[in-house]
Amino acid sequence: MVINTLKIRNFGKIHDRTLELSEGINVLYGENESGKTTIHTFLKSMLFGMARLRGKGARTDTYSTYEPWENPADYGGTIWFTQEGCEYRLTRNFERSHPVFELVRLTDGAVFTDEEEIAALLGEVSEAVYDNTVSVGQLKSVTGKDLVRELQNYMASYQGTGDTSLDLGRAAQMLKMSRKGFQVQAERRKKELQKEQEKLDAGMDLLEKEMTDLQTKRGRIDEKGQSLRLGENGGDVLLRHIREARKTKAMSILLFGILALLAAAAGLLIGDIRVRIAAGVLAVLLLTVGVIRSRSLEKEIRKRQKLRERWLAKNRKLRYDRSVSDAAIDDKRRSMESLQSARAEIEDLLRKPFPEEKEVEALNLAMETIGNLSGDMNRQVGQRLKNRTSEILSGITGGKYHDVLLDEDLKMSVNTSDRVIPLEKLSRGTLEQIYFSLRMAAGELFCGQEPFPVILDDIFGMYDEERLAGVLRWLYKEQKQIIISTCSKREMDVLEKEQIPFRGLLL
Amino acid sequence: MKFIHLADVHLGASPDRGSAWNKRREEEIWETFRRVIAEIRENPVDLLFIAGDLFHRQPLQRELREVNALFSSIPETRVYLIAGNHDYMRKDSLYRTFRWAENVCFFKEEKVTAVKDPVCDVTVYGFSFHHQEIEREVLFGVVPQESEGLHILLAHGGDERHVPVNYRSLSAAGFDYVALGHIHRPNMPARDQIRFSGALEPLDRNDTGPHGYVEGQIIRGRLRTRFVPFARRSYLDLDLTLDEDTTQYSLEEELKEKIREQGPDNLYRVRLTGERSPELMLIPERLKSLGNITELTDESHPAYDLEALCRQYSGTLVGDYIRHFLAMEERTEVEEKALYYGLQALLETGHA
Repeated sequence: MVINTLKIRNFGKIHDRTLELSEGINVLYGENESGKTTIHTFLKSMLFGMARLRGKGARTDTYSTYEPWENPADYGGTIWFTQEGCEYRLTRNFERSHPVFELVRLTDGAVFTDEEEIAALLGEVSEAVYDNTVSVGQLKSVTGKDLVRELQNYMASYQGTGDTSLDLGRAAQMLKMSRKGFQVQAERRKKELQKEQEKLDAGMDLLEKEMTDLQTKRGRIDEKGQSLRLGENGGDVLLRHIREARKTKAMSILLFGILALLAAAAGLLIGDIRVRIAAGVLAVLLLTVGVIRSRSLEKEIRKRQKLRERWLAKNRKLRYDRSVSDAAIDDKRRSMESLQSARAEIEDLLRKPFPEEKEVEALNLAMETIGNLSGDMNRQVGQRLKNRTSEILSGITGGKYHDVLLDEDLKMSVNTSDRVIPLEKLSRGTLEQIYFSLRMAAGELFCGQEPFPVILDDIFGMYDEERLAGVLRWLYKEQKQIIISTCSKREMDVLEKEQIPFRGLLL
Repeated sequence: MKFIHLADVHLGASPDRGSAWNKRREEEIWETFRRVIAEIRENPVDLLFIAGDLFHRQPLQRELREVNALFSSIPETRVYLIAGNHDYMRKDSLYRTFRWAENVCFFKEEKVTAVKDPVCDVTVYGFSFHHQEIEREVLFGVVPQESEGLHILLAHGGDERHVPVNYRSLSAAGFDYVALGHIHRPNMPARDQIRFSGALEPLDRNDTGPHGYVEGQIIRGRLRTRFVPFARRSYLDLDLTLDEDTTQYSLEEELKEKIREQGPDNLYRVRLTGERSPELMLIPERLKSLGNITELTDESHPAYDLEALCRQYSGTLVGDYIRHFLAMEERTEVEEKALYYGLQALLETGHA
């Protein structure tokens, strides 16, 4: 692409101003505040529009910065440029309520009013690519150390992102911090649940112990039962014993009664007085023995009755103890079940994915994707960028430095013919030359087939005359459209001295 | 004739385990049940229906005694009780042997049986769960007896694995009222005729909205029912919509204000939506300490115009990153989140 003419209608403090550019080197010369930056912004806005993008762009609101002081309804202008052999005219009015966009292909008069068309025409040069390659600003750092770091970052950014405004390290740090936040939350919740689980476990241990105690007690009750012998129907057995004793008693009363009666009857039937007396004595004797016998039997019965009562009482107590004990064990068992199901509920909660896990997963995916894409870019760009930077550096230094080296941590150094010098050891002038080489190389790599103009915004301030001559000679040899904007006359002087043709534009 | 119908008290449940209010909620479930009984003591009703899951698990002896004591403190009210799927009548369930107070009627069978109320002209029908799940349509074909008075059916279930119910045929069966339990949100399949009272106290964050019991009364010969909010707290959904002016501070203030408005005792499920300023580094977990927040989902995202950004950054990592995600036919929730997380990290940490 070659920019032929800029016609500014109204833009910032500039109005009705036309700049004709040559295909080769152009020097835009003006004091500070003379409007060089305005012209750069105008060109960029013409190519990419001024839509206030959400995001980073929102911070610097270009629109209101360059809104014309007079006549704000007429905000914009026209540029003429050549692209892939066709001439185009692009007119814009940025005014928000009535924006105008018109792209005319002058070769055949085709008119395009869709802003997509210009993007298609620019191909691989997106706004970000333009910022990173076409428009080259000066290094911002002042001191040597910062300068080295800045240069280092430029190199790393081009390799990994193609965008020097990005900072992969800080982006990764931010994502990691967010991830940590979610992980801490999930961890905290997990701990709470585990604490509760432990409490339940302690409760279950206690219940277990109580249950064992109860079962021991229950065992003792059973032992007592065994010691009672006679088994479950001991009551009946004892009752039978009592009945038998009663029967024995009744039988003995009957027996002795009958015998006494027989003795008495025999006495009455036999007349002999002695026999009668003897029979009477025998009868009395029999009666007495009978009575004694029945008394002793009666005692036995009472003893057995008492025994039975005692046994029954003991048995009742045993049965009561047993049922109380069983109920207590049952109660513990149910309590245990209840704790178990509470524990299962917690286990379930612990098993289910925490909502934080989704966030962690998303953050991991973001990091991984950034890593992969950056790796891809590095593979595509890395080596070529390094090689081309080396070539350019060699070109502008007349072969003094012929190689830019990168170690594993992307730390740069340069190779002279006899030694390797780390960036820290180089003079500011040389660092500026490396920077220039890098930017030029990046421009070629990222802009695609069609060469794009290069805008060099006040970047030669720190160059001595020799370095400046070297750079300008190289630029001339490259046959590109160059716009050098400067507030010093040195560039023009050197160009004239080197007899390099250029067009000077005075602001 | 006046009755109260409640269900799913879940005595012994412990909602929101791991939260700061877990133990308090456990106690509140008992407390609210005691409050219902106290309310009945103050303003007696004739019948109290408890449509299952009075207990969260198999009841313990002391729990049954406690509940029975409460019932016997309202002797003028007859209590009709069934077992649900949580407190189902297992073989060794204490429900099988427990001796209830005289004013309590427990339906022990797993098929519908009828009991005539000794005072009111009401016949009550009911059944208890003997299993954790019943896939049989127990209520299918059940019709009221042909006798005078009101016929009220007490049942638990209503989903596929717990007594599926066809409400149309149940409505046509001819009961004057069907007091249902199991579904935790109050719900009315047929106006004034079939109702789920819902859980007395909400039990987890899905039980949003008001909770309480149903009160029924005959007014001018017609049975009228109404829902009475009675729960100590509600689970409420709070949606906060972010825009580009939202800051962490303004968001926290807005949430505080909404919680103040809707009751600081309630339990909130907060959802963030909308498009926030890309510069805002939202710290969602800070919101969690501003009230009883059970769950916080952040569906908001930075207000990026993806297409435009993709164009603007084409050829650089940001462009590749956006294109990588836009190229997906459909983004999962995680991918959608990843897109914005990564994009915000890349753009917001860069140099201007």
